[in-house]
Amino acid sequence: MTLCLMIGLHSTAQEHKAATAKTTFHRETSVSTSIKADPAIIWALLTNASDYARWNSTITSMDGEIAPGGRIRLRSTLDAKRSFKLKVKEFQPASRLAWGDGKGLRTFTLIPHDNGTVTFTMTERIGGLMFPMYAKYIPSFDASFDAFAADLKKEAEAIANHAQP
Amino acid sequence: MALSEHDLTAEFERTRGALRSYILRITANRQDAEDITQETWMRAHRSLANFKGESSVKTWLFAIAQNIARDHLRALKRWPENVGDICKEAAMSDPDFFREAMTIHKTSPQARFEIREHIAFCFTCVSRSLPLEQQLALMLKEVYEFTVKEIAEIMQNTEAMVKYWLHTGRSRMVDVFDRRCALINKEGACHQCTELNGIFNPKQNAQEEAVKIQMVRDAAKQDKEHLFDLRMVVMKELDPFTSPAAELQLHHLEFDRQVMEGRPEQV
Repeated sequence: MTLCLMIGLHSTAQEHKAATAKTTFHRETSVSTSIKADPAIIWALLTNASDYARWNSTITSMDGEIAPGGRIRLRSTLDAKRSFKLKVKEFQPASRLAWGDGKGLRTFTLIPHDNGTVTFTMTERIGGLMFPMYAKYIPSFDASFDAFAADLKKEAEAIANHAQP
Repeated sequence: MALSEHDLTAEFERTRGALRSYILRITANRQDAEDITQETWMRAHRSLANFKGESSVKTWLFAIAQNIARDHLRALKRWPENVGDICKEAAMSDPDFFREAMTIHKTSPQARFEIREHIAFCFTCVSRSLPLEQQLALMLKEVYEFTVKEIAEIMQNTEAMVKYWLHTGRSRMVDVFDRRCALINKEGACHQCTELNGIFNPKQNAQEEAVKIQMVRDAAKQDKEHLFDLRMVVMKELDPFTSPAAELQLHHLEFDRQVMEGRPEQV
């Protein structure tokens, strides 16, 4: 029997507030939002490490290069005292990005639609055999994921809609 | 649309000043600006038959120049946003810097020190702290007044990416100057332009000189975007090669470039 709890799942066509699914050895949090902007703009925001802290309220600093095989170091509001050292594991331009370490993997996907919108989805899966021992010390990601998606949507749409001759 | 050699020559002469100042402002290197401008002419002349009239001749010339400059700039490190502090310290410990600057100031007809000239010089240096594409797009839009579509042609990228570079580059520069520039923020860390005015124009009151600049007069309104636009007005009004302070500012720029990129080895 799997221990699976779905918490707070609300969905519309392309909008999903953050939701977390738990099993004994893993936890997975996911959020989706619809963004009316060119995928290139969203991709540029997601892959410019030094610019994150300017537009993303969940990240206080990020160094490194978000490129194939690149390494980054980030500090987030989830744990202000800790610096996360991560490696870029997938890099498919304007489509799919993933970074992580031995304990977790965060994946970003962009799916463009004919109406000019893009469905952005961010998922983080953490866990492993030792997960039950430290699971209770890891805070919920839900609020942070909602804020990340909202910030990305706001910034990308502001850039796309900015009236520039 | 075919372009005749005569038309190319005429358009190049009309564009040459803006082209040379743009290259200077992105490379911070007087010799590179002269060389790249010359190389642009030669390449344009060689590829005259390739001009299809899909963009203006001016946009085409800037695209050629930028291609040459970008390859060169990609090999160089970006400068830090506190480049002014670093170079000030280097100048203070280098007796040759002020000796040379004073000689230029006393002997050249293009070596008046003016605060607005230093504002333009300062933006040229600080903009080198932006990622390269952001710096190039920002200069093309805010100073040389190309449209987003034209910048996309010059930079051989999409209009979406140009909008991204413009938005992020501008946001970053607004923030940097708000934090650093004492002309627009009393808490700003950098007073270099008024300090230098005291050295080169000891009989002037620097504050009285500063308030002659609209950006300084409007600083109390605290609209950061508006102040950035006024900074760009100063940039547009000045040609770094022909302005009344050109020789002095070019000397400062070459000094800063050598500090940031290494001095040439003595032969």
